[in-house]
Amino acid sequence: MSEPQPVTTTTLSRDLVVRQSEAAGEPAWLLERRLAAWEAFVRLPLPQPSDEEWRRTDLSGLDLDAHAPLAFAAAKSKPPAPLMALVGDPAQAAGLRLVVDGLQVGERVATELARGGVVFTSLSAAARTHPDLVQEHLGSVVRGDENKFRALHAALWSGGTFLYVPRGVEVDLPLVVGTWLGREGVAYMPHTLVVADEQSRVTLVELAGSAPGKARTLVNHAVELIPRDGAQVRYVHLQHWGPSVWELGIVRTVLARDTTVSTVMGAFGGALVKTNVESRLVGPGGTSEMLGVLFGDGSQHFDYHTLQEHAAPNTTSDLLYKGALKDQARSVFAGLIRADYGAQKTNAFQLNRNLILSDGARADSMPKLEIMANDLRCTHGASTSRLNEDQIFYLMSRGLPRPVAVRMMVDGFFAEIFDRIPLETVRRRLSEAIAQKMVMGT
Amino acid sequence: MAAELGITDLWAQVEDKVILKGASLTVRSGEIHALMGPNGSGKSTLANVLMGNPFYQVIKGEVLYKGEDLLAMAPDERARKGLFIAFQYPVSIPGVTMASFLRTAVSARRGYEKDQLMSLAEFQKLVRGKVEELQIDPAILGRYVNEGFSGGEKKRAEILQMAVLEPEIAIMDETDSGLDVDAVKIVAAGVNRMYEHSGRQMGVLVITHYPRILKYIRPTQVHVMFDGRIVTSGDAELADELDRIGYDGIRAQYEQVAAEVAGEGEVRSAGKVFWVRH
Repeated sequence: MSEPQPVTTTTLSRDLVVRQSEAAGEPAWLLERRLAAWEAFVRLPLPQPSDEEWRRTDLSGLDLDAHAPLAFAAAKSKPPAPLMALVGDPAQAAGLRLVVDGLQVGERVATELARGGVVFTSLSAAARTHPDLVQEHLGSVVRGDENKFRALHAALWSGGTFLYVPRGVEVDLPLVVGTWLGREGVAYMPHTLVVADEQSRVTLVELAGSAPGKARTLVNHAVELIPRDGAQVRYVHLQHWGPSVWELGIVRTVLARDTTVSTVMGAFGGALVKTNVESRLVGPGGTSEMLGVLFGDGSQHFDYHTLQEHAAPNTTSDLLYKGALKDQARSVFAGLIRADYGAQKTNAFQLNRNLILSDGARADSMPKLEIMANDLRCTHGASTSRLNEDQIFYLMSRGLPRPVAVRMMVDGFFAEIFDRIPLETVRRRLSEAIAQKMVMGT
Repeated sequence: MAAELGITDLWAQVEDKVILKGASLTVRSGEIHALMGPNGSGKSTLANVLMGNPFYQVIKGEVLYKGEDLLAMAPDERARKGLFIAFQYPVSIPGVTMASFLRTAVSARRGYEKDQLMSLAEFQKLVRGKVEELQIDPAILGRYVNEGFSGGEKKRAEILQMAVLEPEIAIMDETDSGLDVDAVKIVAAGVNRMYEHSGRQMGVLVITHYPRILKYIRPTQVHVMFDGRIVTSGDAELADELDRIGYDGIRAQYEQVAAEVAGEGEVRSAGKVFWVRH
């Protein structure tokens, strides 16, 4: 009992916001925004268990003050091996950013892309080099006063990624961001801002991982995807956080006229994940595909709240989230399809499937519809099932040992999503992550 | 090594219903057995018990395969040791392609180490040959296992698996049912070719309700099952006879003997039917 308590410094303050902004050499407008977000942060309450959105994810014990925000800096250093393993072959990327503990250790973008006007750099740098673009779009999709976590993020985000693709430019290879957290106990709050100008096409892949630490580490990230008329954006986020990470995130897309956006969320790591993935279709002719692959084991908790909001006529959204759960892992999927007044000829599809691999695992699925339009096609479905013993017997009767048969069935469970991901490298990463999960603990 | 599957006084149940009531049968390398009988007589139960389907419980009896206790082996071990069953109702496995399934299965059968697979080139060569031989559309390899297959496609897919895995003892559970006569011919030709290919070493147990397929796969032995036991055995002519007169004659003889047994009478055979004591 006489053990000295670990020193808990109160790390968050208005002063910290000012110091961090000044250290990054940020323009005045950005500091103003940060300070406004800080006011919101101070004002807004922590979500309560009684809030519908937070009913199934227990945040008690979370002390935001205990997590010192990582500041961004550019530094020369060698990326650690696990980050390089995460990123894989850099030649497969048109551009690559590597960030370790908030330090950018590598950045490159193909020369012809840079010459063509593509900007792919840290958001901090872009705030200085492309102030107009950043000022116009930053915070236009994810606001700093939506809740306490978003406010904290808006006040103290650092580093992050800015991607701008000029009008009509088509980038074939993906742009890749690799993030590694070696430090624990901190708060990591990167912000991703993607602006794809009219008729452009681009793919951004974000890969994140962290060391297996003991102290709780907070990841509070926000992603704003802004495709302008006719643009095509593919966004992939794969996380392999260490077991002490709590992720509170938002990925939100606002789809203009005739845009096509596909998001893939891959969740494998972390102790607790509560992330919102949202598409707002505000221009006619927009199509949003939303895919999710998650695999929980141990006592992992994944909570995905998704939104498919149709705010214009002739728009399509198609969501497929699949989760496998073993040990005592738990998942929550709450998916809302909303069709506003006047959103006629909407096509909205939503499907959540869960595969339970252990008796202690659990998946809750809550599809929800709010339909104001009267001329639309809308389907939603959810299922939670266990491995089918008839199928296992069939595979075993051909000589496959039970673990191999189970592995094959789990792969088969996810195949429906894999079939919809054209990026071979992403499929392979997902497949490897699933394979790892299958081996662990068995 | 010659494979031998010896079944002695096998009793088995599904849930609480006893279905096999003392079945005995021996299938050796190179023999082609036909097991016939009306619906519900226990033929499919026998096949499933032999493969180790966990939904069936063995009550008593013994099955020796290559001299080992088959019933003590898990289904995958039985398969790797060369036992195969072409299922009557193969299940579908969404998301798993036939190609990846077959490659994993043949690698297991051929004794590859855990997680090791036959090289893609070798596998493709093997499977292409089999597909061609069995006149199956190669597109099947890219499809999910049995998913959306027609009845005929499912049966052919079973035969394809059999051809790829090259079993030593193959059990065909009503593979002919639901097929038109042309499909039956193709399936039978496939089995015959596999038999020849094995140097007439493969043992086959053809389970069927209809004698039709036995015109194309000539059995060396024919057995008739009633009420969970084999009540008569003979050669190919027995099948021809059944084709002519149906099961009614056998049934009458069987019922006569069964009544005697139930009444603890002395008669243990009538006509073709005999009651085996263990």
